[in-house]
Amino acid sequence: MPDGSFAHPQQRQFNPYSDNGGTILAIAGADFTVIAGDTRQSEGYSIQTRYAPKVFRLTDRAVLAVNGFAADGNMFVKKVKQRLEWYRHAHAKDMPLRAIARLIQTMLYAQRFFPYYVYNILGGIEEDGTGAVYSFDPVGSYEREACRAAGAAQSLVQPFLDNQIYFKNQKAAPGTTHPAHLPLSDVLSIVIDSFTSATERHIEVGDGLEIYVVVAQGRSPQGLDAFRGAQELSTQPNGDRMFIIRRELKKD
Amino acid sequence: MSIMEYNGGSVIAMVGKECVAIASDLRLGNQALGISSNFQKIFQMTDRIFLGLPGLATDVTTLKETFRFRVNMYTIKEERELEPETFAHMVSSALYERRFGPYFIEPVMCGLQKTHDGSYKPFIAATDLIGCLNFAKDFVVAGTASSKLFGVAEGLWEPDLEPEDLFETCAQTLLNAVDRDAYSGWGAEVYVLTKDKVIKRTLKGRMD
Amino acid sequence: MFLTRSEYDRGVNTFSPEGRLFQVEYAIEAIKLGSTTVGVRTPEGVVLGVEKRVQSPLLESSSIEKIMEIDHHLGCAMSGLTADARTMIDHARVTAQNHSFTYDERIKVESVTQAVCDLALRFGESVHDEDAMMSRPFGVALLIAGIDELGPQLFHTDPSGTFVRYDAKAIGSGSEAAQSELQDKWHKQMTLQEAQILVLKVLKQVMEEKLDHHNVQLAQVTPTVGFEILDEVRLKEIIDLM
Repeated sequence: MPDGSFAHPQQRQFNPYSDNGGTILAIAGADFTVIAGDTRQSEGYSIQTRYAPKVFRLTDRAVLAVNGFAADGNMFVKKVKQRLEWYRHAHAKDMPLRAIARLIQTMLYAQRFFPYYVYNILGGIEEDGTGAVYSFDPVGSYEREACRAAGAAQSLVQPFLDNQIYFKNQKAAPGTTHPAHLPLSDVLSIVIDSFTSATERHIEVGDGLEIYVVVAQGRSPQGLDAFRGAQELSTQPNGDRMFIIRRELKKD
Repeated sequence: MSIMEYNGGSVIAMVGKECVAIASDLRLGNQALGISSNFQKIFQMTDRIFLGLPGLATDVTTLKETFRFRVNMYTIKEERELEPETFAHMVSSALYERRFGPYFIEPVMCGLQKTHDGSYKPFIAATDLIGCLNFAKDFVVAGTASSKLFGVAEGLWEPDLEPEDLFETCAQTLLNAVDRDAYSGWGAEVYVLTKDKVIKRTLKGRMD
Repeated sequence: MFLTRSEYDRGVNTFSPEGRLFQVEYAIEAIKLGSTTVGVRTPEGVVLGVEKRVQSPLLESSSIEKIMEIDHHLGCAMSGLTADARTMIDHARVTAQNHSFTYDERIKVESVTQAVCDLALRFGESVHDEDAMMSRPFGVALLIAGIDELGPQLFHTDPSGTFVRYDAKAIGSGSEAAQSELQDKWHKQMTLQEAQILVLKVLKQVMEEKLDHHNVQLAQVTPTVGFEILDEVRLKEIIDLM
């Protein structure tokens, strides 16, 4: 009470979570993977920053996109990176993609009763040289897929991907079949279209776009040359190659 | 739970080149339980106007009759054909009459508007459940799959589509959106309205 | 001032003035009393062989267990105080299972070996009020055989927690003679069958009794099957080939 008495029951609450909006997306090709995310970070109707990366390079062939509660997301990425470093020391190699996927599951499930409020999408190159995408729920349920969208505009983007990547509701021309994997240039166009669409119709999506491209060892990043300003992040001269493409999105 | 999710259902309308399209799913549900796969939500109001009524099924039936009555009264009294834009305002005012006890419907309409030179101009509009009008230039959506419809339509739609291309764009948008919506689906129907004909197609899609 | 040698003998975690840990050294000595155990690595897989000392005709020889599975792709043969090996193999198994649970991949041979060796020096006094887990060093040496992405590998561990990789290694009472025989006969392009026969021949040389399918045991790790202990029928076939 204002007079400092406790004549009436009182209740106080602290909510440890918030939703910082944004959207992430990953698509696997036969020998490459594209992982992208917008860079807007918001809380309610306010934009906290127009540049907060949600996509992170983990190893030479693995990239992690994290969406949901930004504080949890950043801490989670930090912890994953720490585990990868320990693994390197213990086993004298980089952790393979499927091992990272499993590690993320165990790390998320360890917080089963106070979860990291994040949706993770892991993309990269598998040990057999194929492109791979793994998607997770906040408590570690995971699955390998060809494509996945998550975050604020998941409901806008995922059905579009169903149609354009899985060719859902489309019939192949007589005597032909739908391709299991699309070429890099097509995938990049679909990614950019997905984000411009999401930016158009969702207030929490926009400002900037970061697209990571991981190309398997010995494969040419064909279709990437058409994209202006692709910056190479590869550390090894003849290992898997990694690129980042940055694009502006509408800021309104 | 949103009242839209009680029976489920979704509608979309799109503008093409001298044509318009409107499409809906055919599901009637009772929350998660599917009741019918043959529940129409799109009604032809005049030769050149179609109306889609996603929302509470009982209000679909009521409003369909209400608007049939009002359109007929208008045509008889005014002794001229009702224009789509006029119809949109009719819908709007009918819903606003129930401002504090609304029908749980988010209407979507499309038609061909007569211009001064005698040609026809494509028209689409949608309102919220109390009749706030939205005259979009590209497409309008409503129903339980509306966010999905927005996403796909924003990706697939382009200006000046010919009737057959508009049909394909509209059908693909609806089908892929309702496949990601538990409350919509169970078949679909698409109408394409051109100046000299109406094409109606009933689609199966994935029936789960 | 200086304690005599026998006094340094007593503390498991006290260095002698010459910088030695006698208990660890004695533990290594203890292994030389154990039965002979041999491991041979080939490009096709790793073969392990042990001598089973059947001290009495009433002893059920099949109950002597000196080769054990750690994981699908890992096996282990021992010499010395075999009871101590149980603790180590238990630890190895848990480590291997934990690895595949956490990383969805098979643990590397070197990594399990390292994990087992991490245990070896955990003897001695407790910290604070914790109970000491072990009072003395392990009295056993292991040959850890396995296959991972680096191919077939064979590791030797001793009570000091040191581990080394070998192409072929013998431990136990007959190890000196056996090791020089291995050095003579081992070659890079050995087949698995050649390795099986080599292991048996080496064991035969150092054994007092006549070698048969009751007093030796053979196991192998191959890329296709993983770890397997060869049953008496297959063992007999190989003995006949010698």
